[in-house]
Amino acid sequence: MQRRDWFKHVSVAGLALAAGRWQVTTARAAGIADVFSSLADSALGKATALGASFADLHVMQSDSESLFVREEMVQGVRADSTLGCSVRVLVNGAWGFAASTDLSVAGVVRLAESAVAIARAQAGWRGQPVEIETLPAHSARWEQPVDVDPFTVPLEEKVERLLAISGAARVAGADFCTVGLQQVRERKWLANSFGSRIEQTRIRVAPTFTATVTDPKTGRFASRDSLAPPRGAGWEHPRDWDFIAEATLAVEQAREKMAAPSVTPGRKDLVIAPSNLWLTIHETVGHPTELDRALGYEANFAGTSFCTPDKLDRLQYGSELVTIRADRTASQGLATTAFDDDGVETAGKEFPIIERGVFRNFQTALGQAALIGRAGSNACAYADGFAAFPLQRMPNISLQPGPDPAVTVADLIAGVDDGIYIEGNGSWSIDQQRYNFQFTGTVFHRITGGRLDGMLRDVAYQGNSVDFWNACDGLGGAAACELRGAFHCGKGQPPQAAPVSHAAVPARFRGVNVLNTAAEAGGRAGAAGGACNGGSLRRWA
Amino acid sequence: MGLTPAAARTLCDRILDLVAADSATVHISAADDQHVRFANNDISSSALIDQLELTLTVGYGRRSATVATTATDERALMRLVDQAQALAKLAPEDPEHMPPVKPARFAEAIAWSDRTANAAPEDAVGWLRPVIERARAAGVDTAGYLTRSVGGSTLANSSGLFVQQRSTSVGFSLTARTPAGRGSGWASTQVTDIRDLDLAAVGEQAIGKALASRNPVARAPGRTTVVLEAAAVRDLVCWLLWRLERRPFDEGRSFLNRLVEQGSDPLGAALFGNSATLLSDPLDPAAPCATHADGLPLTRTPWIENGRLKSLAVGRYWARKQGLPPQPTPGNLLMPGDGKSLDELVGMVDDGILITRIWYLRELEPETLLVTGLTRDGTFAIQQGRLAGPVQNFRFNESPLNILRRIVASGIPCRVLGSESDFPAHVPPLVVADFNLSSISDAS
Repeated sequence: MQRRDWFKHVSVAGLALAAGRWQVTTARAAGIADVFSSLADSALGKATALGASFADLHVMQSDSESLFVREEMVQGVRADSTLGCSVRVLVNGAWGFAASTDLSVAGVVRLAESAVAIARAQAGWRGQPVEIETLPAHSARWEQPVDVDPFTVPLEEKVERLLAISGAARVAGADFCTVGLQQVRERKWLANSFGSRIEQTRIRVAPTFTATVTDPKTGRFASRDSLAPPRGAGWEHPRDWDFIAEATLAVEQAREKMAAPSVTPGRKDLVIAPSNLWLTIHETVGHPTELDRALGYEANFAGTSFCTPDKLDRLQYGSELVTIRADRTASQGLATTAFDDDGVETAGKEFPIIERGVFRNFQTALGQAALIGRAGSNACAYADGFAAFPLQRMPNISLQPGPDPAVTVADLIAGVDDGIYIEGNGSWSIDQQRYNFQFTGTVFHRITGGRLDGMLRDVAYQGNSVDFWNACDGLGGAAACELRGAFHCGKGQPPQAAPVSHAAVPARFRGVNVLNTAAEAGGRAGAAGGACNGGSLRRWA
Repeated sequence: MGLTPAAARTLCDRILDLVAADSATVHISAADDQHVRFANNDISSSALIDQLELTLTVGYGRRSATVATTATDERALMRLVDQAQALAKLAPEDPEHMPPVKPARFAEAIAWSDRTANAAPEDAVGWLRPVIERARAAGVDTAGYLTRSVGGSTLANSSGLFVQQRSTSVGFSLTARTPAGRGSGWASTQVTDIRDLDLAAVGEQAIGKALASRNPVARAPGRTTVVLEAAAVRDLVCWLLWRLERRPFDEGRSFLNRLVEQGSDPLGAALFGNSATLLSDPLDPAAPCATHADGLPLTRTPWIENGRLKSLAVGRYWARKQGLPPQPTPGNLLMPGDGKSLDELVGMVDDGILITRIWYLRELEPETLLVTGLTRDGTFAIQQGRLAGPVQNFRFNESPLNILRRIVASGIPCRVLGSESDFPAHVPPLVVADFNLSSISDAS
């Protein structure tokens, strides 16, 4: 069915009903606002009566809509809405937490009782008590500003947009194309025993596509993902991004990638676009500077960090050009909010992580800053659902532009004799203390004599986080800055997904180790019983 | 669990009664979960979660939409049905849309234990006390995660299918680190019945590895023979198992396309080493799982047998298009072993590396299934058939395909957690030749 044909099958009444589908959840949210105060009084009153020195109540409603197009087919139309609450308590220096979908007064009182009981179960054998700072009380309501609330946009307009993207890719010669759109609205109500009562709404969107070309004769295939980032924005973002032109370019680049020469491995100079560099910032600076990691609280899963508290103000993390700052206030930032999920106000809490190359600050949540002798939390708590215990999560963490505002990516490329310009994300992997990373990309352009010189394939760059940032010798100016980010950054047990943005300018790095992934694979998928060229068996079975 | 089986049935019936669309499928997932985390030898968070999610898919001909909610009162159900129907009417026709699955007979799942379901949450917290106190006494720092899940899954549709299955699971993993010498060890277990839970053994294993891995030395990277403990094997082999799919091959974008001539079928081909065998079987008590996947029965299925590809997952639409029976994706992984002890496996290696755990596995090259990842929490040199001390961790770039081609020997299968997955798996440690350790990691 052609994309316009299906509209004529849809009745006017049907359109009206579907367009209003999210009004129901809005009405439900209004209902919560009406009763939240009494829920809070009941839950926090019960918790403190049972001996909690601190307690908070979180109510969260999460609405999401996802659309998925495969070639010319709309294969996924899905709407999710979750609503529930949790009570977190601190009793005799031990945390307790309980969550459910029961939003009655009796329900939240039961949660308070369960949370206190599970905290008390540690009595008698706990080592160090948890201690938290006193937070100021806030009474506030905040909504993320967006131009067009994506939940008010008719479904048909979104589907039309997605089908147009796929159509452009198919016209350009894609054998396959998938297009997706996710939109999320989080509504949170927080009350704590310090006296805060906070209501917040955040909205975000993630448009994506992947175009794939194949060569049946060789069995080869290549894909090219969209470089469009997710944003803390409304429908204006997927509407205004030039996906049609990008889809056409993506198919051209996928074909070129499949036929491109394989990279010669070795030390090379790299110019990295913001569309790739944001993830390198995320993995090599964002995660290592989470204080809970550095102190061992994530040792069993996400890991710890090379960046230990003794390195504060001492470690030369990067070259003098490198300044990386954290905030939760940036326009369209995925981590942007007025208060974190501990109830700490974010305005005024912006901070440098790396300042002119020197490591300056960790990210912290409630009860953490004092462990390294610093004053209170810098507002980095987040819980990804009503049933999630708040964790320290990344704020927006961004590479600041270089000193010359006029420097462009072309200027950076001009300074490279033999290197690679990398755009978009591919694979990423880093060790559990964030030393050894290895990243690929979406598109690799060879640089010869200061100019782009066709594409390369099979490229991965690998290095040590600190060595890498110290090899930075060129940054784009403010005009080259782009806001990128991740919709789902994973951390914790059970895992939680957090949205986070990273602004970046293009940057140049000297002498980075470049691998050839085809060579790493051992050529054409390796031969059965391939010979060892290192190591040996004592005796074969 | 948060919803009794009878209540789940009533809920499904009520929703199906409300639906006016041509077809409907209801899925209810309900669980009472307990999550206890600890770090630096103290509990860092202790949570009780009562959750329910209700998902409804309705269809008008080839138009369909899905709506999910956590609310179950009558008004919420009516809203759910209204929303799903409105969205489905708006959705374009999907040429690949399939009607709800027909009723079938399903084997009764064996992934349930009353003992696990009835354990008091406060008691579960207490299980950790001797483990943490042992770590304190040993002078190591531990961090870990105990999770108990008591849940139920109900699937019903307008074709008359109704299937309800309950499951219990306890997963436990622990990382021990030494304050000096950068030693680190990890171990895990996963059981259905708490009768089989031995937290102390897990703790001892992790502490032992931490102490043994102190003061690692650098060893040059390169291709070498490795002994992969079960935790590493399961992550690498699952990567391949989940990519044994018919449709991507038929479309020319599977790693299998480069392994056979154009026009040839990979089924039956000897694509792996002779000793590579992978199965799934929901009724194997070693790692049980649900006996259906979205209403299609899951049965014992050989995926790779003695090196030959035996099965590919096929979705319902693609099966109909290609004239094949549908084949659901596996619900667990079973890999038989030779029964050798870990010492015997190490004893077979003259010069190599023992890898106890891997981490951050990510795809580098889909054409060859090349993945990258790192070793962590205990990596040891092997010299002349004996462990020869700890070595620094490595990054590796290797294809699971090559691993299944280069199996030299295997040990006794066991059930362990993955580094980023709790998919039920029962796999042996393996000796694998020519494993590509590409660079050194300073992490410890």
